[in-house]
Amino acid sequence: MRKRKQRFNRLLRATPAVLYLACATNLAAVRVQDPPARPAAPAVTREVTDETGRKVRVPAVVRRIVSLAPSLTETVYALGAQERLVGVTDYCDYPAEARSKAKVGGAVTPSIEHIVALKPDLVLAQAHGMNRRETVEALERLDIPVFTTSARTVEELLGSVERLADVMGAAERGAVLLADLRARLAGLARRLEGRTPRKVFFVVWYEPLISVGPQTFLADALRRAGAQSVVETSQDWPQVNLEELLRLQPEFLVFASSHTEGVARTVESLREQRGWRALEAIQKKRIAGISDAVNRPGPRLLDAIEQLARQLHPEAFPGVAP
Amino acid sequence: MSAPQNVMEPPARLAWGEVRLSVEQASYAYGAGGERQAPLFTLGATSFQARQRELVAVLGPNASGKSTLLRLLAGSAKPLSGRVLLDGFETSAMDPRTRARRIAMVQQETSLLFPVRAWEYVLQGRHPYGHGLRFETPEDCAIAENALAQLGATHLADRPMHEISGGEKQRVILARALAQQPLLLLLDEPTLHLDLGAQVELLRQLRRLAEENRYTVVVVTHELNLAAEFADQVVLLHRGKCLRVGAPAEVYHPEFLTQVYGADLEVETSSRGIPRVIVRGGPRGGGELPRMES
Amino acid sequence: MKPLTPKRLAWICGTLGGALLLVMAISLKFGATPVSLTELLVNLWRVAVGTIAEIPSEHQMFVFELRLPRILLGVLVGAALSVAGAGFQALLRNPLADPYVLGVSSGAALGAILSLILAANRPLAMPLAAFAGAAVTIAAVYFLGRRSGEIDSYTLLLGGIITASFLSGVIMFLMTTLSGRDLRGIAFWLMGDLSSPAPVAAGWLFAVLGLAIGAIYTTAADLNLLLSGEQEAMHLGVDVPRVKLVVYLGASVLTGLAVSVSGAIGYVGLLVPHVMRMLFGSDYRVLIPTSALGGAIVIVAADTLARTIVSPTQLPVGAMTAIAGAPTFLYLLRRRLP
Repeated sequence: MRKRKQRFNRLLRATPAVLYLACATNLAAVRVQDPPARPAAPAVTREVTDETGRKVRVPAVVRRIVSLAPSLTETVYALGAQERLVGVTDYCDYPAEARSKAKVGGAVTPSIEHIVALKPDLVLAQAHGMNRRETVEALERLDIPVFTTSARTVEELLGSVERLADVMGAAERGAVLLADLRARLAGLARRLEGRTPRKVFFVVWYEPLISVGPQTFLADALRRAGAQSVVETSQDWPQVNLEELLRLQPEFLVFASSHTEGVARTVESLREQRGWRALEAIQKKRIAGISDAVNRPGPRLLDAIEQLARQLHPEAFPGVAP
Repeated sequence: MSAPQNVMEPPARLAWGEVRLSVEQASYAYGAGGERQAPLFTLGATSFQARQRELVAVLGPNASGKSTLLRLLAGSAKPLSGRVLLDGFETSAMDPRTRARRIAMVQQETSLLFPVRAWEYVLQGRHPYGHGLRFETPEDCAIAENALAQLGATHLADRPMHEISGGEKQRVILARALAQQPLLLLLDEPTLHLDLGAQVELLRQLRRLAEENRYTVVVVTHELNLAAEFADQVVLLHRGKCLRVGAPAEVYHPEFLTQVYGADLEVETSSRGIPRVIVRGGPRGGGELPRMES
Repeated sequence: MKPLTPKRLAWICGTLGGALLLVMAISLKFGATPVSLTELLVNLWRVAVGTIAEIPSEHQMFVFELRLPRILLGVLVGAALSVAGAGFQALLRNPLADPYVLGVSSGAALGAILSLILAANRPLAMPLAAFAGAAVTIAAVYFLGRRSGEIDSYTLLLGGIITASFLSGVIMFLMTTLSGRDLRGIAFWLMGDLSSPAPVAAGWLFAVLGLAIGAIYTTAADLNLLLSGEQEAMHLGVDVPRVKLVVYLGASVLTGLAVSVSGAIGYVGLLVPHVMRMLFGSDYRVLIPTSALGGAIVIVAADTLARTIVSPTQLPVGAMTAIAGAPTFLYLLRRRLP
């Protein structure tokens, strides 16, 4: 009983200060109805349509960029605009300097306050990645322009890079980068011409067994690398039955990993398991690894595709170690 | 010098000797709402009357219609035929609040979800006297305190209900009924969980309260001898029919009792004129034990 | 014998209200950029008096556009969920009841998912669809929970649990058809999230909140008796069918409201009423206002922690309420035992 009274007394003493605040917030509530004054709008803006169909008003000269996805961060660096990059997500770790930029949180729920505090004049988001529609809408409500890319194929990715270069005012660098990327893709296509694509199964995760659907970015990357995912489904991340996998008997199993030892260890443990050992690909050690970059639709993707192609079609790359 | 006004007493509406509770050919059936099945009669036409300060015992084996009769008296059910009148008003026609101010149903047990103190429990009896969102008045508190005092349970006031048991709990439950300031007290087998001493104590309390506060008390019970000792009137039910109504001496005839209970019973009358039921049929009494069918 | 008086009630509510304002003030202060409260107050004073036309932009942006709406939303959701929880505990005569036990949140989630699938790009689609889903579920469970024309607590509880399970199954099925982006969105929504601004003006939301809590409050004295048992309550003059209907509708509307704007934040509706019972007693005339205020305090505090503890990473507020709430409850429970 006495303890309760003590607690109440303490709270009671805080009341006067709190009452002032109560009046203040009441006044504040009244004021909020007036539209807040913004710093004078930048002199020149232009309207562009982003890749999800939204109309965005971007400044003619973009000075402060916030990126909400690691792949977009990589693109910014590839286009040479890193000086203007003021904010990145917690997961933006490539290139290494990106880690030293100011952080705005995760890609799924970045801190709106942090983004606003950085005073960006352009925010980049991804439609098929971790970013949510709610984040984009929240930023737009605060009059911060958000350009959302949407790339489901390698070709679309190139288109995104081009458009991003244009929006960020790095068109020249963009043209150079694109020319290079296109050349590499063309070269790869030539090498693989006439060769039957290998039947592969891309292992996103093995417990439960999850692969990729044909409409994902990954599936397109596989195609470019001279592979064909054996999984036919309309889902993007289908869970596959091990029996089904045994029936499909792919020629290669493909894992995404940043460490080849990690892949080797995983495969060793799978080899012991029932079912998995009946897979030809396991028995004949037809395992291909592809760098994590394939999960980030950015310029490094080409490296990953070439790396995979070398493993799947070594004959097409005479003189080059896989 | 007039006697000090008894706070628990409801305003005197009847002169001494007038009938308060009148059950006139009341019957009840389940499924009488026009469904395809024939209605199941749980109580056939029953009639009796009770005055203030009277204690009526309703007797009968299980499924004889005792609970149904009690529900009709409480106004929770509307009789299929006939009527139940309290002070001239039909119990089933009253609105719930008025009914709660006239009739108090005393529970056997409590099933409380969260801890409640005895005085809070008793104060609940004042609920029918308030409107909507109300706070208890000092008058309400006085009445609640008096109720506890009348039952000698004042010392229990601050105890949580789940810590009180048995006879003491029965007193607090009764106190809540008293706080309603009713005209009619109804009790459904209140002696069920009590030992003999507590049973006697309860009935003595009921008699005393009926006397002091001018209640009409109706008690449903199995205890034939207790009923004979304490009741002014007895209503004997058998398979939904009212077999006999009257003073214990009139109702406790071996033929009736044996018909109703099917047991070998004898009735002795004590020097005070109160009948006592004696059980026969045990091995020491010289009776023969029934042979098992092979 | 110390019965409840209006004075004691006012005192308790005043104290809790003061605590709430304090928590709100602290929440206003912290965030990506700490705001100096004294400066804010001084500016507000100047605006009120007319010395300056407007608050310098910095404060206004953070406090009024980002933080204050989020705090107010937290107050709304906390109050709604706690009162709904207290109401359902009385209606279902079950201390383990929480606002989601009758399936309202599953209905809202289903509405939200359907809006993602069917009407992807409309801005207000999700919260409106969520509320519509909640409303349909409320009606369906009501009809499932009736016996002889009135709500039967036991049947209602069973009907609600079955409905919730069924809807969860449908939701799981639909989730496999969602694209990755929508899936993440709905997963976060299901965990409870105060970062999306409210779809309609705060005024309307608080009006609905006030009406629903008010309606439940009119039955507060009756609920105390209902807890002793329905038959007993009836014999004491309570209009049991009416009270049950009012509480059911009020608590369901509160749940639907909270879930539509912020997803399903857990534990608040279950724990706050119990904590308030331990502190201030089980009388519903006190419990309802204290639950509302207590719930608001808990959510605002939890949300403040969720958005500042590992800043800039944002934690889901539902995780905070669970992590902080359960040990607090255990502590209070142990202190109560002899």
